[in-house]
Amino acid sequence: MSTVLHPGPRPGAWQLIRNGIFAENPVFRLALSLCPAVAVTTTVLNGLLLGVAVLCVQVLSSVTVTLAKGLIHPRVRIPVYTVVIAVWVSCIDMALAAFTPALYAQVGLYVKLIVAFAIIISRLEVFASRQPLVPSFFDGLGMGLGFLIALLTIGAFRELLGNGSFAGVPLAPGRPLLFFALPAGGFFSIALLMALFNRVEQGGRGGAAGPSRPTGGHGV
Amino acid sequence: MSLNVIQPRPRLTRRELASIVLSMSAACLVGAAVLGLVYLGTDRYRRASAAAAERAAIGEMLGLDAGARLLEVRQYLVPGRRQIAYRVAPYGAASGPAREVRFAFDGAVSGERDLPVATPPGREWRSLGRMFVAARAGRPAGFVVQGETRGYKATIRLFVAMRPDFAIADMRVIEAQEDPGLGAEVAQPWFREQYVGRTAEEIARLDVTRDPMPEDWKAALVALARRAPDGPARHGALLRRERTRPIYAVTGATISSRAVTEGVRRTVDHFRRRWWLLAPHLEGLL
Repeated sequence: MSTVLHPGPRPGAWQLIRNGIFAENPVFRLALSLCPAVAVTTTVLNGLLLGVAVLCVQVLSSVTVTLAKGLIHPRVRIPVYTVVIAVWVSCIDMALAAFTPALYAQVGLYVKLIVAFAIIISRLEVFASRQPLVPSFFDGLGMGLGFLIALLTIGAFRELLGNGSFAGVPLAPGRPLLFFALPAGGFFSIALLMALFNRVEQGGRGGAAGPSRPTGGHGV
Repeated sequence: MSLNVIQPRPRLTRRELASIVLSMSAACLVGAAVLGLVYLGTDRYRRASAAAAERAAIGEMLGLDAGARLLEVRQYLVPGRRQIAYRVAPYGAASGPAREVRFAFDGAVSGERDLPVATPPGREWRSLGRMFVAARAGRPAGFVVQGETRGYKATIRLFVAMRPDFAIADMRVIEAQEDPGLGAEVAQPWFREQYVGRTAEEIARLDVTRDPMPEDWKAALVALARRAPDGPARHGALLRRERTRPIYAVTGATISSRAVTEGVRRTVDHFRRRWWLLAPHLEGLL
């Protein structure tokens, strides 16, 4: 198994996107940005909004950094990455406040927190700052999609079990398992879905790949 | 790919330092430019959606239908001339006429004129808040008045909705920085709906108690806030008993509860006095 971090033949666009969604899924594999993943995923729509915001910020920041990498002095690269991310987050924040005010009122606070999401700055550091434009774009796209899909899955799981509805449409009367809508339930949801994700992914490889390298989670 | 092993770094040369300063400054400048452009592009839409949300809130508080007209009244202090100025215009109008009425501090009229809506207020004028007058068939159908009060830590801003007889129709906390779980609970439906239905005279001598709120009253207030079909009936039945009683404070937040009650009391009191001055000058606008 060769991931992007371990050099091999130059990966194609599709491979990079699949890598972000499956092999290095930010939430289920890299276990990065779990805090917001728990905080906002009480409903599908919240997850969707934050997921789309992260996708846009990741792609825009990756492209910006890869274009400007020759101009950034290595000693101040982290502050510069932070400025780049903060600029794009503020842009997305203003756009959401202007065009989706109702949703923004609910998750606006978390959109600003994207500045500190570990997944974005880590992709800038390990990928966009070392690779040319096209792969960086597709890596950003793949990582953003991976995060979006993870948030959607967790949001759907928790809304369905916790509120008995999907995207605000009630499917079951009452609140079947309110526990899953509460913060503690969020961690359990992620754990259950992570286990399922690993199971499906390893099953797909026919077990030949063996247990994947454990990746420690240590980000906001 | 080389690993970054921690080792003593060489001292920065002047050239490097200059390049660091330059690249950080350039990054910040470009970022600021991008932010400015996006702000210019989105601000119009943000204002429009904020105005739409405000209009919906006002309509909901007064229970207005589409046939009602809404006027916005802005109140200013004109310090140089020791006057209070009111600008009255149809709500949300970007063009057309607005009426300006000025009063001396003792309530005597010192001027009335019509001028375009877009005329900016004088530079030294101080805004004293806004109010909204709903009108149907030429008569006032309700008022929403912005008020403020000193909360536990910072100013609490309120919208107080009144019926034409100045009885409370609804109340909303629109901005507060009270403690979550304590003072912030004054924005909860069960607390804010306690004011609904009380007359201006009752509001004027309203007190706050630390006694626990009766369960049936709390349930009726929540039903009223949720616009449940039986909400008004349940609320009306219990209001007969509760209107002589004080406001039940949020447990552990008596100061915030008193602040909101004082804010509602003052807002109603001020507005009543202003309205009797202003109403004769609104001929043709209602």
